[in-house]
Amino acid sequence: MANVKKTAPRLRKLSVYLYIPNIIGYVRVLLNCIAFYLCFSDKRVFSVLYFISFVCDAIDGWCARKFNQVSTFGAVLDMVTDRISTACLLVILSQVYRPGLVFVSLLALDIGSHWLQMYSTFLTGKTNHKDVKDSTNWLFKAYYGNRMFMGYCCVACEVLYLILFLIAGKQSESLVDVVASTVRQGSPLSFLVALSLFGWAIKQTINVIQMKTAADVCVLYDIEKKQKP
Amino acid sequence: MAKSSKKLTPRLRKLSVYLYIPNIIGYARVLLNCYAFGICFSNKWLFSVLYFISFVCDAIDGWCARKFNQVSTFGAVLDMVTDRISTASLLAILSQVYRPGLVFVSLLALDIGSHWLQMYSTFLTGKTSHKDVKDSTNWLFKAYYGNRIFMGYCCVACEVLYLILFLIVDTQSESLVDVVGSSLQQGSLLSILVALSLFGWAIKQVVNVIQMKTAADVCVHYDIEKKQKP
Repeated sequence: MANVKKTAPRLRKLSVYLYIPNIIGYVRVLLNCIAFYLCFSDKRVFSVLYFISFVCDAIDGWCARKFNQVSTFGAVLDMVTDRISTACLLVILSQVYRPGLVFVSLLALDIGSHWLQMYSTFLTGKTNHKDVKDSTNWLFKAYYGNRMFMGYCCVACEVLYLILFLIAGKQSESLVDVVASTVRQGSPLSFLVALSLFGWAIKQTINVIQMKTAADVCVLYDIEKKQKP
Repeated sequence: MAKSSKKLTPRLRKLSVYLYIPNIIGYARVLLNCYAFGICFSNKWLFSVLYFISFVCDAIDGWCARKFNQVSTFGAVLDMVTDRISTASLLAILSQVYRPGLVFVSLLALDIGSHWLQMYSTFLTGKTSHKDVKDSTNWLFKAYYGNRIFMGYCCVACEVLYLILFLIVDTQSESLVDVVGSSLQQGSLLSILVALSLFGWAIKQVVNVIQMKTAADVCVHYDIEKKQKP
């Protein structure tokens, strides 16, 4: 016990920063930086690095639990890396497709829904926005009640964005044309795009519902605060 | 008092918060932004005017909330989210019209990362606003947050700089360095405005970086203190 007091606060802080899952987190950040740096010059390497980073996202959560190195900093690092990497991918998609504003809107929905959801999670004292139990919406329950389904929807979004980036030919292609012609091909790629589109659509619908639910939580929080003397 | 407030159903009470004047201003801001970005390439000047009006409304709705005693958590979140999304969208379109576009993608990453971490650390330490920073030892931090006018100047400078950059770009894919360099060399009023904005923008970005480090420390401390309590 006296041992703990001998460890200087700075060393204790450093030890959290050096947790294995957090080091994986730093690797994810580096992978993303390199990936986006060469995203236009080497699309395939970009996609591979981006996907590896996405896989690491699952791995570092597993490591944190296995090595008993769960940390708030690690969870925030994870969340921020996810948000930024998705945002950057949507921005470069807005450059290579017409209308680019479709992807800017998806970016707005991603930021808005996750921001509101995090806020409402804090206000209600839940530890994790994935632990939603009291929502009455059926789609919400189906989504959050089934981790595999949830995982499929999240992965579908990233896969769809990556595929869209890989198959874009020259600059400024029409999004509708590219998606329609890909789906019509009847190839394995068509199948993958269709599957991804479905999961992506569910995730975006959930995002919209989440914004409404989280807004309600913010409002109820104020109302309950006023009622307490 | 008890009778009349119990008569208001939960749904009506909820609706009344959604209809607070500052929150209605918030919805107007969202609509202004949606319309502005819808026409941003076809009418740059109108876009800039609408974007700036929305930015001014940001200050107005805070003032209204205090004046009409209609401060709400929902209103604060609506404000914050609208700010983040409008800045992100502007940076996204700047990355399309300038080379290297990745400069603006990086600024977007820094904006999201710093504000996200800062909000997290604000919640963990129980502070009400990320602007109420009192215990940071960094001198720039203290100077920035200690002086509301200076802080306001830096925030406004960022938005003004981004708007100017969007307005002065002619063709697609212009070199950022060339455009900024030539606008500064002109020696015109625009040059002064760009220089002033660049200075405030630079300070804000430096503060953003420091904020990320400080907020990360708060997250780590939170866990350490949680472990020490039996």
